[in-house]
Amino acid sequence: MSDVICITEVRRMFTQAARLMREQQQLLSQLDCIGGDGDHGTTMVRAMDALEAALGAETGAPLNARFKDAGWAVLGVDGGASSALLGTFIAGMGDADMGETTDCTRLATGFAAGLHAVQKQTKARPGDKTMMDALVPAVQAFAAAANSGETIAHAMEYASEAAHKGAEATRNLIAKYGRAKFLGEKTLGSPDAGATSIALMFLGFSVALMPEQEG
Amino acid sequence: MRMKKFINDPKRLVPELLEGFTLAFPEKVKLHGTNTIVRAAPKAPGKVRLVTLGGSGHEPGLSGFVGKGMLDASVAGEIFAAPGAVKCIEALRETCAGRESALLIVLNHAGDVLAGNIARQTVEREKLNVKMVLTEEDISGPVGDRRGLVGCVAVYKVAGAAAEKGASLDECFEIAQRMAGNMRTLAVAVRTATHPATGQPIFALGDDEMEIGMGQHGEAGTGRMLLKSADETAEIMLDKLLADLGVKEGEELLVLLNGAGATTLMELYVIFRRVAQLLAAKKIWLVRSAIGEFITTQEQAGFQMMIARMDKELIDLWDEPADTPFFAKV
Repeated sequence: MSDVICITEVRRMFTQAARLMREQQQLLSQLDCIGGDGDHGTTMVRAMDALEAALGAETGAPLNARFKDAGWAVLGVDGGASSALLGTFIAGMGDADMGETTDCTRLATGFAAGLHAVQKQTKARPGDKTMMDALVPAVQAFAAAANSGETIAHAMEYASEAAHKGAEATRNLIAKYGRAKFLGEKTLGSPDAGATSIALMFLGFSVALMPEQEG
Repeated sequence: MRMKKFINDPKRLVPELLEGFTLAFPEKVKLHGTNTIVRAAPKAPGKVRLVTLGGSGHEPGLSGFVGKGMLDASVAGEIFAAPGAVKCIEALRETCAGRESALLIVLNHAGDVLAGNIARQTVEREKLNVKMVLTEEDISGPVGDRRGLVGCVAVYKVAGAAAEKGASLDECFEIAQRMAGNMRTLAVAVRTATHPATGQPIFALGDDEMEIGMGQHGEAGTGRMLLKSADETAEIMLDKLLADLGVKEGEELLVLLNGAGATTLMELYVIFRRVAQLLAAKKIWLVRSAIGEFITTQEQAGFQMMIARMDKELIDLWDEPADTPFFAKV
């Protein structure tokens, strides 16, 4: 059995992620009111619109080129740090070698390359109450699952779960980056908006790859 | 309370504002692409270009300082949100179309710095020569990670004058760094503004309170206290600034007061009068000043006080001519 995905599944992943982001737009903006200026939901929806549009085009290009283009489309969104980091992650995935299809191991390499690109741009690390609290565990969980021979769909479930846990755990953290850092302890008790949206994105990826959705 | 602003469609706010701005100053600026304000007539070929970037909603900043003697281009983002890196890359390519070098001046805010870094790295791969200066002079933050507030205007001014005179990128960078390293800003707010896109108040502050250390987007500061008089407020802020910059008797200062949007020029002059008195009493020379609205936060009430230690070269560059929509010197 060959467990690979192509542009069709990738589109479905981002369609589901975009759907969740649109549904939760209000919540994301509310979370951002605590530390930022309350526009995180709007920004993420704009970023998802850009991703969907970029991936929707019929180009026949290999997946790494598609990720690169899609990432740069997000880097074109005027969304402050959130869209810049998300765009960097997706564009960074394009640094990994992929063909028109990718298996679980290569996708794991792609996620790792995306994370590496993000880490070059920000000093924020898990524990700082940023999107990194969801992104890092998600990428690690996906890699671990890929290493132990899981299917892409299962690996994505693990990644989604890890991102969700990471985002939830930011409730107990004090913001150290972005605008929220100036609020210190006032940020305790609410999850970080950026981590929450990353968790939503991976949940969307996971939902899109669930077996009953296939075929 | 319901938002009361003259806005058509929040989604069209930034393009409409940029359109209006360029129509108001056609002899000075024009729009390039959707979000970049450039000079109506470009600087002479070969001279170093100055480019800045940042969110909208702070008018006249930052695009109001594009013009002769200051900026060559300003990339405007959404309301309070950094522009995308792609627009910054395009602005650098356009501004440096003759392979000129560019000084990228970025206020230290997470999104702006990311966009600036990604843009610089990208055009460097295209062999454009770019240096980036970060302004981070807000003393309410910890040293090493302070926000950029109104001080960027002074950096635009002196580095812009140097570039106009034909200084190299290294020289412009050194001037900009010297200015940035010798300035300090502190903000105070007495009343919040509503976010024009969300319609929500940016922060809450009691009727009898003021807050010192407010960020450029109304981010909470650290010193909330009962509202003080103009003289008391001026003294509290100036003392903190002088201590942080380590200003000694006999040194020369530039003082800039930046209204947040709803604080009157009347109040700013009352504050400035007290600043001048206090400096005189401390035998510190007030050599240059600028008072008005440079970078606002909608109809927030409050102001930023910026002081900068000046040397002869910085003063000379400050005095050089400039002709931009919101800063002019003859």
